[in-house]
Amino acid sequence: MKRRMSAALTAAASLGLTAPPALAHHSFAMFDREHPKTLVGAIKEFQWTNPHSWIQIEAPDDKGVVKEWSIESLSTGTLSRQGWRPGTFKPGDKVTIRFFPMKDGSAGGSFVGAILANGQTLGNMGP
Amino acid sequence: MRAALALVLALAAATPALADPLPASAPPGARLAAWKDLPDWSGVWIGANGSGWDTTTMPKGGVAGLPGVREHPPLTPEWEKKYAANSAKVDQDRFPDPVSFCGTPSGFPRLMSVPDGYEFVVRPEQTWVLTENGPNVMRIYTDGRAHLGPDDLWATYMGDSVGYWQAQTLVFDTIGLNGDPHTILDRTGLTYSAKAHVLTRLYLADKDTLEAKITIIDPEMLTQPWTVTKRYKRQPPGSRIYDYVCTENNRNPITATGQTLTLGTDGKPIDKAVDPGK
Repeated sequence: MKRRMSAALTAAASLGLTAPPALAHHSFAMFDREHPKTLVGAIKEFQWTNPHSWIQIEAPDDKGVVKEWSIESLSTGTLSRQGWRPGTFKPGDKVTIRFFPMKDGSAGGSFVGAILANGQTLGNMGP
Repeated sequence: MRAALALVLALAAATPALADPLPASAPPGARLAAWKDLPDWSGVWIGANGSGWDTTTMPKGGVAGLPGVREHPPLTPEWEKKYAANSAKVDQDRFPDPVSFCGTPSGFPRLMSVPDGYEFVVRPEQTWVLTENGPNVMRIYTDGRAHLGPDDLWATYMGDSVGYWQAQTLVFDTIGLNGDPHTILDRTGLTYSAKAHVLTRLYLADKDTLEAKITIIDPEMLTQPWTVTKRYKRQPPGSRIYDYVCTENNRNPITATGQTLTLGTDGKPIDKAVDPGK
């Protein structure tokens, strides 16, 4: 089962490199798709929900101030077919998250990729 | 009846301006297809063409909803103005998408262009198009019935669809659609009118690709019929469709001015600026 999951995540990771931009149930105009950013921090909460799943992570901003970020991902249906599960992120997990930040600089963004606590890569972590 | 259908198809191919036709549902001699003659479209499918109705109208990066230069379909002067106004709103991130409010379907034909999974359930008397990203349930009658008559037809999200099987191709015709402002085609600002009449051919292009050739005929929107092809990729055996309830945890409400907000877990916007009048 563990190996299967791992295969699914690998498939998801390779998909993330080539898949067209994902569509949300709302406009993506508030995200800066030209300048992805990276957060390193601890998971506070993972909301496995529709229309979007949300990763709440506590991580420092550019000035080193630790705050809670709301990182938006896709629907549970699409994510589950890409290998995600409700336990993909657990509170306290130390993770790295790559995301398209909100243009106005607020503590949120759109998920692009992650390095999970177990070292696996999810989505697109870039070059 | 055959003549009527042939006329409709000919009009779809060539005529610049159209009245709103009520076409025949099936050629004479057409009969209910036997189960054994129907194609196997079981399983889960996922759209391969992204979120926009047509690549030519997509701004940079192929993402509907982002600002940028776009080509225009053969729009009438009235619709050209409407599209320009909508596109200006898109460029300001102030073009409200009806589905972002959670609760209403994308409607046809936009439902042929949504994210997440699809099922195409083929039965002799009707075919259902079910989208995971819903609520969208579309019924296409193939039992030989005609369209609803003018007194029995009113505008709906899915419209009234009748069709028939031409070998392994499902040919169907849809009228009675809501249209602008209740439904849109995509987030570039494209909309269609309640006079839209849509002809669709749905078939397997190869064993793992379903193709829908969709022609919109809309005397208010278009100066000539506009055909766009959508493709759907077959997912691995055993794939499933999951729950999608938009109101479950919608943290992106839309303001009265069309701004998309992002809510924190406390339900308050994390956005730096929120339009007044929310």
